[in-house]
Amino acid sequence: MDKMFDVIVVGAGNGGLAAAANTAKEGLKTLLLEKHNIPGGCATSFRRGRFEFEPSLHELCSVGTAEKPNIVYKIFDDLGTKINWEYEKGHIFRTIAKGENGFDARLSAGIEDFVKSMEKEVPGCEASVRAFLALKPKLDAAIDYIYATKGNPNGLVMLLKHADFMRTAGHSVEEVMTALGMPKKAQDLINTYWGYLGVPTDELNCMHFLNMLYDYVVNGAAMPRHRSHELSLALVDVIQKHGGEVWYNSEVTEFLYKEDGSICGVVANGEKLYAKEVISNVIPHNVFNMSDIKKIPEQNLKLANAREFGISVATIYLGLDCSIEELGMTDYTVFIAGNPDPRVQNDTRHDDGLYIVNSLNNVIPDSSEPGTCTMFFTIPVYGNDVPKDLKPQDYKKYKNDLAKKYIEAAEKDLGISIMPHIEEISVATPVTFAHYLGTPEGTIYGYKLSGWDNLMARIAGEQKDFAIPGLSFCGGHHTRGDGYSSAYIIGDTVGKRVAAKLKGGA
Amino acid sequence: MAKPNLRKLNPMDFTKMTPTRDAKIESAPAKALPATESYVPNQIANALHPDVQHLKVAKIVEHGTDAKTYFLEANSSKGTKALAWFSAGQYLSISLEIGKVKLTRPYSLSSSPREALEGNYKLTIKRVKDGLASNYILDNWTVGTEVTASEPLGVFTYEPLRDANTIIGIAGGSGITPFRSLAKAIADGDEDASLILLYGSRTLEDAIFQEEFKELEKSCNKFKLVNVLSHEENEACEKGFITAELIKKYAPEGNYSLFLCGPQAMYDFVDKEIATLGLRRKFIRHELFGEYFNPSKETDYPANVAPEFKVTVRIAGNKQTITAPADTSLLRSLEANGIAAPAHCRSGECGWCHSKLVSGEVYTPKSIDGRREADLIYGYIHPCCAFPLSDVTIEVPPMKKY
Repeated sequence: MDKMFDVIVVGAGNGGLAAAANTAKEGLKTLLLEKHNIPGGCATSFRRGRFEFEPSLHELCSVGTAEKPNIVYKIFDDLGTKINWEYEKGHIFRTIAKGENGFDARLSAGIEDFVKSMEKEVPGCEASVRAFLALKPKLDAAIDYIYATKGNPNGLVMLLKHADFMRTAGHSVEEVMTALGMPKKAQDLINTYWGYLGVPTDELNCMHFLNMLYDYVVNGAAMPRHRSHELSLALVDVIQKHGGEVWYNSEVTEFLYKEDGSICGVVANGEKLYAKEVISNVIPHNVFNMSDIKKIPEQNLKLANAREFGISVATIYLGLDCSIEELGMTDYTVFIAGNPDPRVQNDTRHDDGLYIVNSLNNVIPDSSEPGTCTMFFTIPVYGNDVPKDLKPQDYKKYKNDLAKKYIEAAEKDLGISIMPHIEEISVATPVTFAHYLGTPEGTIYGYKLSGWDNLMARIAGEQKDFAIPGLSFCGGHHTRGDGYSSAYIIGDTVGKRVAAKLKGGA
Repeated sequence: MAKPNLRKLNPMDFTKMTPTRDAKIESAPAKALPATESYVPNQIANALHPDVQHLKVAKIVEHGTDAKTYFLEANSSKGTKALAWFSAGQYLSISLEIGKVKLTRPYSLSSSPREALEGNYKLTIKRVKDGLASNYILDNWTVGTEVTASEPLGVFTYEPLRDANTIIGIAGGSGITPFRSLAKAIADGDEDASLILLYGSRTLEDAIFQEEFKELEKSCNKFKLVNVLSHEENEACEKGFITAELIKKYAPEGNYSLFLCGPQAMYDFVDKEIATLGLRRKFIRHELFGEYFNPSKETDYPANVAPEFKVTVRIAGNKQTITAPADTSLLRSLEANGIAAPAHCRSGECGWCHSKLVSGEVYTPKSIDGRREADLIYGYIHPCCAFPLSDVTIEVPPMKKY
């Protein structure tokens, strides 16, 4: 049997799936190895009783529609998949912040409606909100220029023509908003979205946040009709249709190197498998731990040591024996926080911080049987928030205490009755994600998008950061950090890049 | 008022980003990274969800002529240092090799989670007529036999935010085992619920765990046993079957949850009785239905199905073709041909056997179809409850090697 492949992709998360779909479609002999028995990592679904739950996706960014396709739509479309996209209608979210300077607001999709909904909440903020959103096309123009110069832009051109880009990309969200004269309350309203990138907006790179915000505002959010499992199976289908192989229950335990330090394959299920190129959807930390440490370039090892792990979450999945109308939930997404300020929300996450409540039936009414509905709670927490002295035998109680706390909070904050209707419940914590994803501390996407390790700085450092010959990375631990769409985009980019390299050299 | 602008922000700050990052990286050590297993969430995850548990039979207790309880301890020489904690009601999927047949069977743990901390899992196994696995185990396992088991699995557990605080357990035959676990877990203080156990047997002699249950009743006022005997008069027991009337007789004021575990015949009878009680679905929980046989009894099963088909199986790059009877699940046909295939619940529910139907047609009974919506679009099946209707090609994940 032939154990030599053109490309081996390690891990069938969003990035790995998109990468493998591209290399297979380009006619390269592709093998995707996945340690679980199904693809997707978090992009999957699970059943309890008569419910099928979405485990992780809140709102997929950068999709767009058939008429106005955005990048994620195009990725799936170009690969030949037929995804049943469903769209959130009207409001993009409701945000409730308690305490002084708190609010309870619904922000609308579409730039004009978004600005209007902001002005209604914070009279006088319109100009600054418009100015903030108007930065996005300027950033795109600057990025296009940087790409056109192959990463060596003329400093003077940048300063003269793209000064707003430099001011934006070099500063945090809140620094830019404050410079634009945006009232604090308006900032807090918009910055509700910080949780999706896992870093509060006083530290989060402005350009990164703006990219996400703009896409949500302009395109609204999309969801696959049949939970994320649909997206993952669609990509597997592409790989298999183009002759690629997907092996489940096949955990990679070692990365194989040649004498010269380049990667030549992996070991999975005790078997050596070779490839011209390896793409890892697995976080560098784990790859380095499965490698001969002498083969890891010093800078790469230092970088891994310098980094902090990104945010994880605790999640609660409820199947309720009442309809969404009986429950009284009218919004798909509600953000609820004890304080309007993102930094405080981050720092007080154990008590009155931020939690998100999603009701999928408000986007896909028949995502559960008539007379039932589902709720999905997300609480941003770090893996190291899990108590050090927590024993396995106390874990069930830990989960249930956590779930009880947030369900009761939502009952109070939203004025609805949840507890008596619970027909199915499942609770996940960083322990669950550590188990399912195998990442250190159960981090979801990888490394924290810290001020020093932000999107722009990562893009600038990409060549140096991924320096092992024959090995590419894709996934949330790559330049773009957190988010479903980012993982697909990076996987797509890396898959195409590897395909071009192999085909160019043939 | 001036148009909002960014003039207050220094564009040159942008040029500092890369040097700042480089300096931060440079100042970090180039040392080996901590092992993933060293982080707290990973440690707990590994303790709760080991890939495999290597066990050894430490003791055997016989219950009459056709049931035995096996005490299993960690087989440290094979690398299992401690038994994973679990929730009362969960099961272990046991891997067996019987001749050339490689198979798995789910067995509920009859011991409490606390007993696992003390070093033992208990599996109570009853002989099933023509049962390949139960007969093999009862005839072959002796003290010292090495056993390969999964992590604890299954969702037939008490969930305090979902279930009523009083559980009425309805058990028949070997379906008693998860209730022995739950009763003990309540007595141990690990589950905060009350259990009223209606245990259906032919005669009191057929009912196992009687002594233990009596002890538990004495030591714990949250547990009560009611033996229901169909073929024996006994003053201390109820006579007959488990009916709606009987459930009402022992039910508390207010809400209660019904937990059922027993043979299909028991479900067929008791489910009809329960239907008259008007309980909400959330208060009725069934343990796995067990393996499904004879699909042709279903009204939507097609007519004129040939007796057997060719099944081509692809596993991790290897290919093999076998002959499979139409009335046998694809999983059983694979196993009968010595092909190890992943499976846990064997009841359509858990999805561990999730496989791709590359070509051909299969029949999956609706009542046990636990597939996800997208599985139906992209042609995935659960071989444990899929029956061939034509020659088929399936792609099955390999068994993990341990």
